[in-house]
Amino acid sequence: MLARDGRTHERGWAAPMSGSVGFGSGAPAQPDLEDLRRIIARLRARTHTLRARPAAEIRDALGRVGARFLDEADELRMRALEVLPTEAHLSVPMARTVLDGMARDWTGERLGALLRQELGDPTLLDGLAFRPGDDSASRRLEMAVGPSLCVQIVSGSVPGVGVNALLRSLSVKAPTLLKPGAGDRVLPTLFAEGLRKEDPALADALAVVYWPGGTTELEQVVLDAADVAVVYGSDETVSTLRARAPATTRVVTYHHRVGVGIVGRDAYPQVVREIARSVVLFEQRGCVCPQLIYVERGGAIPPEGFALLLAEALEALERELPGPPSTMEDASALQQLRGTAEMMAGQGGMEVHHGGQAGSWSVLFEPEPTDGPWSGPRAIRVRAVDDASLLSKLLEPLGPHLQSVGYAGLAGRAAELAEALGRVGASRVVPFGALSFPPPWWLHDGRGPLLELLRWVELEGGVR
Amino acid sequence: MNDDNHAGAFETMVEALRARLTEGNWESWSPEEFDRRARAAFEVQFEACSPYRALCERRGVTPTSVARWEDIPAVPAAAFKHFLFDSSGSDSSVDASTRALFRTSGTTEGRQSRGRHVVPRLDLYRASLVEPFRRGLLPDRASIVFLSLVPSPDEVPDSSLSFMVGAAAERLASEVVWLMGKDGGWVEHASDRVAEIRASGEPVLLLGTALSFLHLVEDGGNALSRLPEGSRIMETGGFKGVRRTVSREELYRDIEGSTGVPRARIVNEYGMTELLSQLYEPVLTEGAEAFGVHRPPPWLAVRALDPTTLAPLPDGQEGVLAFFDLANLGSVCHVLTEDVGAIEQGRVRLRGRATGAEPRGCSRAMDELMSAAGQRR
Repeated sequence: MLARDGRTHERGWAAPMSGSVGFGSGAPAQPDLEDLRRIIARLRARTHTLRARPAAEIRDALGRVGARFLDEADELRMRALEVLPTEAHLSVPMARTVLDGMARDWTGERLGALLRQELGDPTLLDGLAFRPGDDSASRRLEMAVGPSLCVQIVSGSVPGVGVNALLRSLSVKAPTLLKPGAGDRVLPTLFAEGLRKEDPALADALAVVYWPGGTTELEQVVLDAADVAVVYGSDETVSTLRARAPATTRVVTYHHRVGVGIVGRDAYPQVVREIARSVVLFEQRGCVCPQLIYVERGGAIPPEGFALLLAEALEALERELPGPPSTMEDASALQQLRGTAEMMAGQGGMEVHHGGQAGSWSVLFEPEPTDGPWSGPRAIRVRAVDDASLLSKLLEPLGPHLQSVGYAGLAGRAAELAEALGRVGASRVVPFGALSFPPPWWLHDGRGPLLELLRWVELEGGVR
Repeated sequence: MNDDNHAGAFETMVEALRARLTEGNWESWSPEEFDRRARAAFEVQFEACSPYRALCERRGVTPTSVARWEDIPAVPAAAFKHFLFDSSGSDSSVDASTRALFRTSGTTEGRQSRGRHVVPRLDLYRASLVEPFRRGLLPDRASIVFLSLVPSPDEVPDSSLSFMVGAAAERLASEVVWLMGKDGGWVEHASDRVAEIRASGEPVLLLGTALSFLHLVEDGGNALSRLPEGSRIMETGGFKGVRRTVSREELYRDIEGSTGVPRARIVNEYGMTELLSQLYEPVLTEGAEAFGVHRPPPWLAVRALDPTTLAPLPDGQEGVLAFFDLANLGSVCHVLTEDVGAIEQGRVRLRGRATGAEPRGCSRAMDELMSAAGQRR
């Protein structure tokens, strides 16, 4: 494909570059239209039997499969770890860290906590019940009904996002068709395989299929068939698919988001290591990854000094959590980034620290916000701010794309800051150490991930 | 050197180079001559262009430390979006008629996403573009009728491509018919003139971007069907922000179908706003063997570099492409692109664009957003 970004200044003919990576036999095949229609019919045929099963039973079956990904001796985990580095383009230690962090939330216990968090009483999925704690005069019976068919269209290369997605919809008893992201195909496929062994009837309600994003015909078939379609992707992808869905399909979207960080004046230098980890985890492909860190003036660590400390911490992480083998694309992006940054640095516009030829990280300290080709592997921007309370104003332009804000050293000011940031668009304000792996019950983009899928039924006057 | 002296030295160099580039005898260029001219250009640019000097100094390179032109630091092409590189040393308000500011046609919405290339001396650009154009497209004749799908330079004064077609037409066109306006619409009465030309049987040179040809083919291409024998086409690639992509072979087959100009007479031009010199596929002189390779003029050095170490790669091995273009005397000569390709006997085999193809997850690298954060609005 030809470039579709601002760099299309060239006039020569560029041959297509293959961006695909090899993956093992576990990868899902691309269906044709007929296959896809058959799969949809099979899934729909499971709707009633799935709804007849207790939510707790489904949760437990899913949890038992999920837990296998944490068991060092388990074949599913071993196979996952074998393929992940290539498929997701991560180093071996990074693939392991990512799998550990993601699969931690795939156990029955964690899924149960998710159900309780969102529903109060998960048996609301099994039949009419009172909401827990509702003693009001207007008491009524309610029931939560999951989609008759949930289609999950996921994008990207953060391993585990696809499994998270299928767990959500299966947990609410929805037959699920998952189209994972290009770099996240193996984990959901292995999960489906594990589920087949664990609970064949439940496995019949799950299909993992793959097609490259933008395969319009296939997308249209699933959008038409779905009760609820969940779409992850760029703003463009999300709005295109939403526009093509029929009125009867509820479309839940997760568009592109970014993470930022704030280091308050009460931060200890030790926190820098945690911050560096949050920067490198997922190789900055996730919305939970900070791309920009503000450092408050007047603390023990001056902003310029913080940039230097962060550089040292990133350098140290090169051994513990190395980046993936450099691709032509990433290496080229780094050259553009560093060369431009060095020119700005030479003119006093910024300070740049980077790992040289051997290191993939770059820290850009910006006294004033700059424009530049600053996206590259492990590239992080650092800016100074006089007071954390100014942050919400500064971040306002990011509003609709703002998601996670990592913090450190705010002493008693976190709540105040979270309120202000929440009002401009942030949905998650957490210590840096918690930034990378939100729990299953996190408010994904500010919404309960299960509630987004559910429809409610109420009964008045029929109190049993 | 003070500013006046610098400007004077710059002018002298422009004149000498301009004369040299106009000479048709490419075989007379030796590596020694290129190296000498390249180092002289570096001296001028290091002196006058402060962002470039900043980069060189950070890398410990000065004109005196440079033993060969290959030691001269290359500017990343992306930097053209963020800096104006002007090595002329002259006040930009002077002599506006000799200068130009070209912009890339980047399509990212938002601020400053387009690269900008200052050309302090347009006559140097003119001198550099004609001979490669002639060799690539008119090796067999002194002039030809131009039919241009590229809008005229009057329509798009900041397009280096439009300027190039206009300047080439001044020297090599018996007549030029501008077919397209800047909005992509067909120019009034253009079809009538094309019909007359077709009826005359006079061969033409049809020029356009890949995108303009795609539109032509999709519209049925009737206005340009059955072009006279001896006609040829210059196509310059890139779909600039358009979602639809087609392979080059598909497009060329369709162009052949629409215009009647055979595949073997469709010449790809490779150029970019950041470089004033262009490369052409020498298919008109060498035939099908030249498909996919672009020939640079002797004042444009091309190298494929290891993307990590920037060490030059042996022939045939793919790397990021770097160009040292003497015609860029007024800005910076040495440019590191994001294009990937290999060098084969001094020619470029282009593979594609290193776009940071790593699929991102729910986070896109939001340069512009991040730059917007905290800006005073």
